[in-house]
Amino acid sequence: MSSISFPRAGALARLGNVRIRVRPGTAVPLLIVLLVTVAAVAPGVLTHRSPTAIDIEHTLLPPSLSHPFGTDDSGRDLYTRVIYGARESLGIGLGATGLAMSIALLLGFIAGLAGGLIDVLINRILEVAFAFPVLLLALLLIAIYGPSLTTEIIAVGIGSAPGYARMVRGQVLNVRKAAYVEAAAALGHSRWAVIRRHLFPNAMRPLVAMITLGVGQSIVWASGLAFLGLGVAPPSPEWGALLDSGREYITTQWWLEVMPGLVIVLVALSITSLGRTLQHRLEGAAR
Amino acid sequence: MSTVGEAAVPAASRRPSARRGARTARQILVKVVSAVLVLVAAASVTFFAQLLVPGNRATAILNEQTGRAQLWTPAQLAPVNREFGFDKPLIVQYLNYVGGLFHGNLGTSYTQYRPVTQVIGAELMPSLELTGAALVAAWVLALAVILLTAKRGRFVTALGSTWEALTASLPTYWVGVVLLVVFAVEIRIFPVIGGTSAWGTVLPVLTLAIPLAGFLGQVTRDEFEKVLDQPFITTARTRGMGDTAVRLKHALRHSVLPAITLSGWAMGALISGAVIAENVYGRPGIGQVLVNAVNTRDVPTVSGIVLVVAGVYVIANLLVDIAYALVDPRLRAS
Amino acid sequence: MTRSRFGPLAAAGASALILSALIAGCSSGATGATVASGGTIVQGGTIVYGHEQEPPCLYGGWLQQAYIDRNILDSLVTEANNGSIEPWLATSWTVSSNGLVYTFHLNPGVKFTDGTPLNAQAVAYNFNYWQHGGNSTAQVSMDPYYKSATALNATTVQVTLNKPYLPLLTMISQAYFGIQSPTALKRSAAANCDDPIGSGAFKVQKWIHGQEVILVRNPDYTSWPATALHKGPAIVDEVDWKFLPDPVERYESLVTGETNAIYDIPTVDWSNAEANFQVTQYVTPGKPVSIYLNTSEGIFTDVRVRQAFAYAADRKADVEAAFHGVIPYEGNPSVSRATPGYDAAVAAAYPYDPAKANQLLNEAGWTGRDAAGYRTKDGKELDVRFPYPAGSVVTSEGTSLLEILQQQWKQVGFNVQLIPETQAETFAGDYSTPNSYDAQPWYWTSPSAAILWIVWRPSTKADPNYSNSSFYNNNELSTVIQDGNTSATTAEADQYYGQAQQIIQDNAAAVGLYDQTMSIAVAKNLHDVWLEKSQGEPVFEDAYFAK
Repeated sequence: MSSISFPRAGALARLGNVRIRVRPGTAVPLLIVLLVTVAAVAPGVLTHRSPTAIDIEHTLLPPSLSHPFGTDDSGRDLYTRVIYGARESLGIGLGATGLAMSIALLLGFIAGLAGGLIDVLINRILEVAFAFPVLLLALLLIAIYGPSLTTEIIAVGIGSAPGYARMVRGQVLNVRKAAYVEAAAALGHSRWAVIRRHLFPNAMRPLVAMITLGVGQSIVWASGLAFLGLGVAPPSPEWGALLDSGREYITTQWWLEVMPGLVIVLVALSITSLGRTLQHRLEGAAR
Repeated sequence: MSTVGEAAVPAASRRPSARRGARTARQILVKVVSAVLVLVAAASVTFFAQLLVPGNRATAILNEQTGRAQLWTPAQLAPVNREFGFDKPLIVQYLNYVGGLFHGNLGTSYTQYRPVTQVIGAELMPSLELTGAALVAAWVLALAVILLTAKRGRFVTALGSTWEALTASLPTYWVGVVLLVVFAVEIRIFPVIGGTSAWGTVLPVLTLAIPLAGFLGQVTRDEFEKVLDQPFITTARTRGMGDTAVRLKHALRHSVLPAITLSGWAMGALISGAVIAENVYGRPGIGQVLVNAVNTRDVPTVSGIVLVVAGVYVIANLLVDIAYALVDPRLRAS
Repeated sequence: MTRSRFGPLAAAGASALILSALIAGCSSGATGATVASGGTIVQGGTIVYGHEQEPPCLYGGWLQQAYIDRNILDSLVTEANNGSIEPWLATSWTVSSNGLVYTFHLNPGVKFTDGTPLNAQAVAYNFNYWQHGGNSTAQVSMDPYYKSATALNATTVQVTLNKPYLPLLTMISQAYFGIQSPTALKRSAAANCDDPIGSGAFKVQKWIHGQEVILVRNPDYTSWPATALHKGPAIVDEVDWKFLPDPVERYESLVTGETNAIYDIPTVDWSNAEANFQVTQYVTPGKPVSIYLNTSEGIFTDVRVRQAFAYAADRKADVEAAFHGVIPYEGNPSVSRATPGYDAAVAAAYPYDPAKANQLLNEAGWTGRDAAGYRTKDGKELDVRFPYPAGSVVTSEGTSLLEILQQQWKQVGFNVQLIPETQAETFAGDYSTPNSYDAQPWYWTSPSAAILWIVWRPSTKADPNYSNSSFYNNNELSTVIQDGNTSATTAEADQYYGQAQQIIQDNAAAVGLYDQTMSIAVAKNLHDVWLEKSQGEPVFEDAYFAK
């Protein structure tokens, strides 16, 4: 795999045994992800306004220097709302994917390693889970527990878990039969050591991109839930909620719908992009 | 059920065909039985999950009928409880329900008084048409982008993969309403109210297909590029095969496997995910029926929809298995 | 894997530019069809009407059902625009001097669309049907005044009451009291849900669930109301009653001409609509969208706190901002301005006065402040649990209004927690008990001030009133409302109703917000679509296309 060398422009970092050179093509997604992280952790750095500061004299203003994304129907600065919404949206993305991956790792590894009846049983459970429409899962959870950030994370997380579980199981089965694993076992390494040093990294490496894709997809999914009226309570500036409340204005004050949408797209895109880059690096280093 | 990376089944080419026939028949039977079990399990889980939703079913029914949101006296609730059998023990209600399933009776909707099969049946076909067409369109889009842009120089490749990542990140409602405003209102090519006509289905199909195409494309692209690096491709090229032919005949076949697997899942997910497109374009569809049914605690309808979606998923995966076997020569019992 | 330098950014940037250009191009101008007035009448044709919400059945006690039923069922009487009661199925009627017996004389020879004759027996059958659960909204509108209905002969039906009830005629003008064929009512619930049979200008041909109801012209229509704009059966052949829940799609369908009329114009498109279509706004009589305050438990048991809540936010300015001036502010929490007997003086109470609000809260003992600035008393915070039916009663603009109010209430020290209710929770009655909320917005439609009784009747153990969502049991109020309902003349009734409104307002049992309204926009080439006075139903029996 060739790479352009920018001896002066590139920055070198070490990640375990893998050296990562940051190229401009990776720099942009990285910058965006960094910005979003700052927005989630310390929003006051990026904006001096409050996300709930209403101003009924200045509603529905188009984008300008003082309001880069314009103002909404209560006069609140949309840019500020987007910044403050990063915490919740990113939280949903990371939380849901984290939950999904935890379940998936558990089920996938057990099924892949144990084999036999346990594998069959877990497979059947996954089948039923797959057959269940994710939408229904979200609707039921929210109907039972009420709409909140936690419910959304659980709904999206549990909904995506079966897919990841399948993939993990498939990877585990693959790697189990690989030569180096058999070799390690033949050399007398303990089961745990084999899992930790060979099975786990090699099974998970091809999935890195899928995981980051999942983070992006969870954010997008959450915006779909907000559309159905199942999002978090106002005045939360969660991006999906912004998208939902901007719908009616698309032909008149288009920025209310276009800006949050663009942000969602850019962030999901950047996370996915970085994930693919990371996966390629890891695979390159592993060869 | 095939998955990405699962070890290939060794060819059974050396066994006598009679035994193979019996084995295949047994496999099919096992698959059918397990499919039925999956369906019943899904419906049962749904049945009980709905009972977890707080609130009283009779109350919800009366409120839905009158557009109110209040409690009702026991005297007012009694006839409702009698009519729908809520006064019977839960186990009896459940067994009645499952028993009915095996007779093809999905129960009666609490809010529409009609058989659930009718409630779902009327709106199932438009949903299936929409999601089926969306899946096909997604495939066409994804393959077109890959064939045109994979491994063709840095800029074009990057453009293609960025396009895929971009489209995969688009929120469905956003795509839907932008397409509506641009192509149905501003430039009046398509109708705003598509209904179920073919021309009016184009925009809803695109709304679902574009993000899915991005997703499928990303998954397939990696495989495609890996395959293009394989020695046998070089061999084919040195034998004089043109680039397009190489891509179409050899590389494509090998790289679509993971995306075929995903299609089975995608079909099931699309059906309920289509609710957004159906809402924006005013199309009938079971997504909206599902949302309404959950909101009004119409338990039989919700369970019925789960059954149907599960059924579609099961059939879709059967087709996936067949497609997998057709496409992957390693799996074909020769 | 190689990647272009600015790939992601360029792609996103380009899309943004293209998108905004295309979309911003829309904002300047959608045009509808403009036709010179006085064109020639076209016989026949199909009206495509874009409605919003689809009901589960075509007949029932819900407003969405009344909308459709007005076009397929006829009622005994109708309400004219000036509030007077005019003949419909009943050509004349007499009321006994004690106000207990109403005798209606029916138009002879009217038939339902299934051939059954619409006679006095049929009308009596319907009254009985409503009373026994056929339509719970009809039922609660008549309780406890209705006693019986009997057919004296084929064209005379007598309705007997327990107590005088002046609003009776207004109430039975609603589409809930549409007369259905007794033969049809004896069918299964499913059949009556899908296809109610009446004598109206249209009948149901088909209901494609999730899409539309197709109404076709009743060629044998002979029973139009006195308020009809023309005499005779409907001029158009068909009405396609479509369900388009998404507001962008609904409005744009009118812009592109795919619909000829739509329901509920998004307020943000209002000025565009007024420039290009015939716009009618209907202020719903009944209880406006006002905030019930839980007077039985929690912080609002103290009347001073309730009054402070009313003074603390600039409700008038906020309503005007949130709805872009389209929906009127309503200071009267118990009846809307379109309700007969509305007292405008009552509506002027509680203007925006944060100083007064602060003073009242101090008097009530809420003098502490916590770190966030909310008031405290004896270690408790001034919390207001504020659930609201999101997506049904409260639209997205309504939600913006609540968010604006929330910020203003915060400045005085109220910690208002907005809790969006899902439909499932709303229908399950989750937020209907005294321990589940402190404040909640809701509205009622009712053509007369009789709604006061339905909502404010004190709730007792023996006879609970689940519609009294402020849990406000005031016997003086109860007496005054009853006096109003049983008055002999409208003037007398209005006096009592005015007193009732004053009591409710003085005690801040509810806080006014805005009137429930609906609107329709009609293409310029479609004439004579009008809104029924009693509930704002769109009426298509007189409509015609003009060339």
